[in-house]
Amino acid sequence: MASISFDDAAHLLRRMGFGGSPDELDQLAAFGSREAAVDHLLNYDRIDDSALDNLTAQKFQINDPPLDNTKFNPQELRRLWFTRMILTKRQFQEKITLFWHNHFATAISKVNQEVLMQVQNNTLRANALARFDDLLLKVAQDPAMLIWLDTLQNVRGNTNENWARELQELFTMGIKDVVTGETNYSQTDITEIARAFTGWNFTRPPASDPFNYTFRFNTNSHDNGLKTIYSGTASAVTSNLDGKDVIPIICNRPATARFLVKKFFDFFVYPLDFTTKQDRNTADALAAVYLSHDHSIKEFARAIFTSDEFWSDRARYALIKTPPEFVVGPIRMFGATYNPGGPTAQRDNSIFQRSALLGMDCYDPPDVSGWDLNSAWVNTASMLDRYNVANTLATTRTQNPTTQQGAFITIDQLRKYTKASTKKTVKGFISVLNVSTDKPTINSLRQYLDADTPFDPSTDTVIDQKVRGLVHLIMCLPEFQLS
Amino acid sequence: MAITRRQFIKQSAGVASVGMFLPRVWLGESQAQTPMGAANRKMVVIQLIGGNDGLNTVIPYTNSRYYSLRPSLAFKQSELKDDMDRSMLISSDLALNPAMKEIKELYDEGKVAIINGVGYSQPSLSHFLSMDVWHTANLAGAGGIGWLGKYADAALIEKDGISAASIGGSLPKSLFASKSVIPSIQDFSLYNFITDPGHPEDYQNQLDAFTAASSRSFEPGAFRSAINMTAMDAVQGAQQLQAAVASYSSRVAYPENNPLAAALKMAAQILITMPEAALLYVMLGSFDTHSDQIDHRSGQPNRLAGQHSSLIKWLSQAVKAFYEDLNQHGLADDVLIMEWSEFGRRPEENASLGTDHGTANSMFVIGNPVRGGLYGEAPSLNALDLDSAGNVKFTVDFRSVYATILDRWLQGDSQSILGEKFENIGFLG
Repeated sequence: MASISFDDAAHLLRRMGFGGSPDELDQLAAFGSREAAVDHLLNYDRIDDSALDNLTAQKFQINDPPLDNTKFNPQELRRLWFTRMILTKRQFQEKITLFWHNHFATAISKVNQEVLMQVQNNTLRANALARFDDLLLKVAQDPAMLIWLDTLQNVRGNTNENWARELQELFTMGIKDVVTGETNYSQTDITEIARAFTGWNFTRPPASDPFNYTFRFNTNSHDNGLKTIYSGTASAVTSNLDGKDVIPIICNRPATARFLVKKFFDFFVYPLDFTTKQDRNTADALAAVYLSHDHSIKEFARAIFTSDEFWSDRARYALIKTPPEFVVGPIRMFGATYNPGGPTAQRDNSIFQRSALLGMDCYDPPDVSGWDLNSAWVNTASMLDRYNVANTLATTRTQNPTTQQGAFITIDQLRKYTKASTKKTVKGFISVLNVSTDKPTINSLRQYLDADTPFDPSTDTVIDQKVRGLVHLIMCLPEFQLS
Repeated sequence: MAITRRQFIKQSAGVASVGMFLPRVWLGESQAQTPMGAANRKMVVIQLIGGNDGLNTVIPYTNSRYYSLRPSLAFKQSELKDDMDRSMLISSDLALNPAMKEIKELYDEGKVAIINGVGYSQPSLSHFLSMDVWHTANLAGAGGIGWLGKYADAALIEKDGISAASIGGSLPKSLFASKSVIPSIQDFSLYNFITDPGHPEDYQNQLDAFTAASSRSFEPGAFRSAINMTAMDAVQGAQQLQAAVASYSSRVAYPENNPLAAALKMAAQILITMPEAALLYVMLGSFDTHSDQIDHRSGQPNRLAGQHSSLIKWLSQAVKAFYEDLNQHGLADDVLIMEWSEFGRRPEENASLGTDHGTANSMFVIGNPVRGGLYGEAPSLNALDLDSAGNVKFTVDFRSVYATILDRWLQGDSQSILGEKFENIGFLG
């Protein structure tokens, strides 16, 4: 068992969650070992989240206005999810749900029925750590995906290839094996698999039970003929296949296991470089865990988060924060003072809008490949947007943080970490915001506090100006962009 | 791939192109040779994301196979006129989509070159791989550096100010460069470094501290190095941009509720107010019309409305407004517009009033510098000429279109940028 330091806990919670306050990090470090801390975060169903459940029951009414049972308020879906990200005690649950939303990227702009996006979000959350086969089947039979990739139009004699292609290219194995570079499937495999998924449909629920959609198999529009897939490979099958038969075949391919390693590493660890033997070995080793643990996502995730790779120096600050991490993270790091407003009035829509401005409008990914990660976030527009979102968080003030909707860094929170000297103050806030930086930068931040008049932290007016400015500047550091 | 309102484009996830992060100071003496590029020669790229249906853009209205493959989607000859009853025919066998009346007008004025059958060998039907092929001009989609990024590194790097930019929230891979930081600009009003509105007197102090932190150098190739370079370019560029675009005024009314028009208006503002601007890039999404590409609300297919018609109309109206704006500001002779999409769509329609992924497509190159007309050869739709997926075979390599533009307009060196020599298609003389 490897011991876990405060910095380790910060690293772990930035990756398995959105970050935590110093108190939260102390609690996580108190588990005594990395394995125990990971186990605690992984078994989130054992963590009491009733405070959040009570709040969301009170503050949200997502089918308002109830135009019909498909048209929910799209802003409310987003307000609900970001409230969960900010306030949940089950951080990994929301983080991995976000991961799967990016993986099975589905956009409201085409699905066009808000309720179906919520249904899909619920499906992703409920099955996030299941067997990958089970998650994939649930997602495939979920109405949002049946609409999004045109499965509803995929009928006997007239296939639509959209789902069959992206199922393989984006959701499971990629065009080429990420390690060996071998081509994973052919155009014939796409058309044959499209035939296997013909006749898939869903049944709408009664208005009284608007989330209860059920999968429906239309025998009449299903192609019952023989299909041959992956001929010439170890997965070759010729049979009267249905989509349900195809999914386990795909999920058992080593290429799928390796592709999942790549996807998890890009999001949770560091971008793998498959030109190196070391990283190919990493992919093979973790792919073997997936295959030998019956495709359990939970055990796969456990292996990743307890791996030497995850705890290596290379992994520290090796990812660029996604917009939700950038937006939600500092709120949580300061102790999550957040009132979402609602249920019908004074709703706080600012948080998801900030994420959207930074390029990640949840429920509306740019396309089925989801949001590109890491270096894709680095461009001049998005950097300026980050600096300005940071400024908004740092400088939005309220007299009544408990009653006013929105996210605020309160004067109490600022006072807590403000010390008599500029050095201790700068170091305190750098630590709260999980940044590791160099001495020249600490010095220029100290000079900022002392600019014009020497820093005098004994008055709230100084804290309210200069310390807010300091928080903004720390959030503008290159180091803060990293997770 | 599916519909999106926002115009994002794919970039390779994960491993960043190492070259992207080389600090500017590394340019050094090796760049001392005469830079490529020419004064007053500018280009605007329009990318149609999702795979534009070329056969319903440049319509082979005399081809019986077009009609037999597309019983619902094919435009009847009688439909090939605009809403003012003017013919959309551009030759004895090709016509433009009736929603493209503005581009038809430009075509009639000799300002539009249409290159038919543009593609590449062993085409990928994946959006993402095919886009990478076009972005990098590499048939494996490899390399991580864009063809325009290479051009910018060679021709624009010595220029001060904003010489190249993408309009939108992310940078297209075409503009990934080894040495240049090419800005992406989503919104002029937000393109600024903003500090506490309650304490404007602290602005300079914050900017000083930000500048000090951003003036550090990091190990090349690391994310923080890329962030740092981008940060400084963003803040400096923002100051120049704010000053410049404030001076823009125009009598041209761009169409409302047309995202491409909004992006091209921003491009025009930059081109008109910043003389150094030479390369602009805009994107329009949602061309992935697997289903309902035409309207059928009345129960009957209506080819003159629906998803594809709306998108093509946006394109046509936006290009015309942009052209007029440039013309009124005396820039129409200086700007070349190039349109592309990652692939066309399958000749045979599917059962959803849509089309699946295809291959070769038509490209449009527009502007006063162009020798208008038809180039290349529209691919055969005969069953024996289609590939095993039922897609057409390309007749023109897309890289020869790039080469023509690089050599004949941008005065670049197409061979060094594209890695080999390609034929001149002739639309620039």
